[in-house]
Amino acid sequence: MFAEFKHTLRRMRGQMIGWGIGLALYVVLMVSFYSSVAGMGNLMEDFLKVYPEEMLAFFGSIMDLNTPQGYLDIYYFNYMTVILGIFAVGACASLLVGDEEKGILDLVMAHPVSRTALFWGRLAGFVAATVVILLVSWLSWVIPAGRSGLELTWVEFLQPFLPLFAELLLFGTLALLLSMVLPSGRMAGMTTGGFLIANYLLVGLANINQDLKPIVQYTPLHYYQGGYAVSGVNWGWLAGLLAVSVVFVLLAWWRFQRRDIRVGGEGGWRLPSLPFRRRAATGVSRHSV
Amino acid sequence: MSEKAALMTQGLMKSYGKIRALRGVDLEVRRGEIFGYLGPNGAGKTTTIRCLLDLIRPDGGTVRVLGIDPQADPVGVRARIGYLPGELALDSNMTVEGALRYFNALRGNKVDWDFVRQLARRLQLDLKPHIKNLSHGNKQKVGVVQALMHRPELLLLDEPTLGLDPLMQHEVYHLLREARADGATVFFSSHIISEVETLAERVAIIRQGVIVEEAEPSQLVSMAMRRVWVRFKEAVDPTPLAQVEGVTLLSTSNNIAVHLQVEGEVDSLIKALAAFPVSDFEIERPSLEEIFLAYYESSDKEES
Repeated sequence: MFAEFKHTLRRMRGQMIGWGIGLALYVVLMVSFYSSVAGMGNLMEDFLKVYPEEMLAFFGSIMDLNTPQGYLDIYYFNYMTVILGIFAVGACASLLVGDEEKGILDLVMAHPVSRTALFWGRLAGFVAATVVILLVSWLSWVIPAGRSGLELTWVEFLQPFLPLFAELLLFGTLALLLSMVLPSGRMAGMTTGGFLIANYLLVGLANINQDLKPIVQYTPLHYYQGGYAVSGVNWGWLAGLLAVSVVFVLLAWWRFQRRDIRVGGEGGWRLPSLPFRRRAATGVSRHSV
Repeated sequence: MSEKAALMTQGLMKSYGKIRALRGVDLEVRRGEIFGYLGPNGAGKTTTIRCLLDLIRPDGGTVRVLGIDPQADPVGVRARIGYLPGELALDSNMTVEGALRYFNALRGNKVDWDFVRQLARRLQLDLKPHIKNLSHGNKQKVGVVQALMHRPELLLLDEPTLGLDPLMQHEVYHLLREARADGATVFFSSHIISEVETLAERVAIIRQGVIVEEAEPSQLVSMAMRRVWVRFKEAVDPTPLAQVEGVTLLSTSNNIAVHLQVEGEVDSLIKALAAFPVSDFEIERPSLEEIFLAYYESSDKEES
């Protein structure tokens, strides 16, 4: 298992460096802007009031832009579920199936490594890579914060990263589970990615249209605190998100234990043929039978 | 199952949807032998090997590898096996050495690295380049090295010399014979008949998911039809020759020469010829290729 963990981390080092440096640069830039935005005070509020109400409602916390938690939410945590969600979904959709589709898994699994060790070793590698990326982002907020008036402790900065991590884990493990069930990793990635973006939009739209509230409460991003976790983490929500991730992981693991390792698409499921397509394929009409 | 069997399958069945890849494969490979698994593309060779490794789960039948059920103890089986897949795919961003060290790590870092270097030297494989920069043949060499490097008890090789030049093919044959001399069992699939004829001590021919023949290559040859040309010192009546069991008279040339077809062994014919004034005698030995093709042609005719 440790060999697979190390191997996964080594393969993800490019993503860790790319995402880590990219987000660090962005965060440092955002931190340096904070003193200017906070200094604008009522001027910013007056400016935002010009925007249509629906637009302000969509972004929810935009009127709190001159508070630390509002600023963190708007400029980082609000949409980081989507940005880093793309990383998590992409990485998990191909965590095992990517190698399977390339034919690499065939040789790896001919070595004395159990399916369980392979599964958990790779998943642990993904989790570690995600933690490294979030850790770099957190340090990028914490280190320069004092100079720009973002007067939060390192714990307060850390708190919103916990729900973010839980959301990334949830969408990542959903992609992993779907990759075990759907015919290709790409399909699993697209399905989960589509769900993630739809959920993000739905949460925003639910702020405008109250009729959507009952639906949105069944989606993961409804339980995402964003930058407001600075004031305190909702541990119940966090535990719920993590519990769902655990269910997805266990289902994916159970499925991986039982399925064939595919080569060239063998063993994938197909949609059942529609009746008219079946007739066309056999060349037999309904009346001639 | 025999105690001496390195691997055994009984009634092995596997389907992919409506395609029945294996329809009851019965195989027994003895410990310490080189066994050739012969069949055209799509006959079920790779599916059989992947069932032995628990990469795919059979729909029915029994599998034992080195006396172990691969589904019950896959790690235990794989620890004692060296495998070379038919369509070898490696992580292209790794170096050759990096890939081999990764495989070694999966085996608990038990491999003697001097032996790895020795194998690489014999196959003229450079350990430094990235996999993505290797030719198909050099990638295949990486596959051969990783299959042999831990000195496995059983080698499962799916088309082992695919993409190798003739010199390297012969080096692989040497390596496999050496592994066998050290006590390993070699089970390899191929559709290259000359390779099977050169290397294998016993052969199984698979066709559409069923074993149609299992024997030593020489037995297969002796069981097959062969043609015999006989020239006599003087004109003779060839009728007694045509009455020998398994012999058919194809043609005569002024009763001075005859062209015969013999099914099975030629012993009876030679004894019958002792009564004739023979001046020349020639047997055309069928190649394994002809036998192999005969199996497929006869099966196709049966189907049609």
